[in-house]
Amino acid sequence: MTETRQFGDLATQLVTESRRSTATDTLLKYNDPLIRSIIREQRQLEQMIASTLENLADPEFDGANPSLLIYQTAILRNKRCLLAYHSHRIDRLRDMYWAVGGALPHLLSDQDIRGKLSPHEVDFLKQYNSAVMDFRSEFSDELDITAGITQPPKDLHVLVRVVRDCGVIQTELGTIDFKKGQRFMVRRADIEHLIVQGYLEEV
Amino acid sequence: MLDARGPPVQFELQAGEETKLQELTRHWMNERHAPDILPAQSVLLGRLLDHIRKQNDTVQLLRADPDSSEEEHFRIMLAQTEIERVKFIVRSYVRTRLYKIEKYARYIVATPEVQERLSETELQHARRYAHLVESHFHRTVLQSLPEEQRGLADETAFMPPMIPEPDKTRAVFAMARTNCPPVRLPDGSTSEMEKGQISLTPYYVVEQLLARGEVELV
Repeated sequence: MTETRQFGDLATQLVTESRRSTATDTLLKYNDPLIRSIIREQRQLEQMIASTLENLADPEFDGANPSLLIYQTAILRNKRCLLAYHSHRIDRLRDMYWAVGGALPHLLSDQDIRGKLSPHEVDFLKQYNSAVMDFRSEFSDELDITAGITQPPKDLHVLVRVVRDCGVIQTELGTIDFKKGQRFMVRRADIEHLIVQGYLEEV
Repeated sequence: MLDARGPPVQFELQAGEETKLQELTRHWMNERHAPDILPAQSVLLGRLLDHIRKQNDTVQLLRADPDSSEEEHFRIMLAQTEIERVKFIVRSYVRTRLYKIEKYARYIVATPEVQERLSETELQHARRYAHLVESHFHRTVLQSLPEEQRGLADETAFMPPMIPEPDKTRAVFAMARTNCPPVRLPDGSTSEMEKGQISLTPYYVVEQLLARGEVELV
């Protein structure tokens, strides 16, 4: 049994994956094999164009050759699908980056996430991080632009429970050594990033 | 506002005039509702940040002073809460712009008119991000493709452009802050908004009114 396949089928699979990722709000594993096959298809198409053009040496040819148009359309479509897939992933990565308040080491040390990224994407995140950090440093120390913007602050202080040890942290009341199981009443601004990263929990 | 020496001093306001914070809140809402990037409010932002810093210093000073009374401590707490809230708005404002800047980074780099609306830092970030995205595309996709297919600016009929631009036809709710001069609607007729009136229109219709501060987006 032979599998019949049209040009562009693989690219459709790729885009479907992006859609699924959006619909389920999860980052899927980077689909390297599929991308490689699409790139192979692109090379094939380019060769078919080249060989069609060679056969056109015929002096009676009037310039109209529908197969060329089909190849060209397939090439353009595949290319756009490839770029759309990568662009969609970049958007997701940036969302994840901001969701943890720009704590890149925290993101990259998560084995589950790390396994889904391609090496280029890890590079991208690192470079993006340094760009954002440079942007942030333009503001005064008072204002950390990477802090959360989903909930406006209602109270100055917050009661937290320590879920994971996170060592000694500088706060308004002096340094506090957060140990698992303890509870503290602390200034929200001092420890907000620890809540975001899952070290502390609001009670 | 809190003062180290005496009771809180309020901004002195003429009737109908807005405080710096109200001004920022308006720009923040405009920015959040507009599909396009609006002009940067660098001066306003700088002033507010200065103010936050001063307030913070004052608060630190008062907290350290053992003679502050119970009532003063309560006032300090209110001031601190207020500072946090202002910071929240500033942060959200900055991040909203950052989001749009990254989304349209390649368009910004190619369009000088838009660049004028950005602060120096923002423009730098836009350039850097556009470059970052292009080189990412190049490394992951384009360099493996045949030579002829490596462009990032193909213009093909029936395909959306490769450089995304803000969609100025998106509908926005605009509220008139004063009586506005007439604007031309897409069907050729004109419409005039009275003070306080709210209309739902495509963004480009009220773009000029917004730039002059005659309407605000709600």
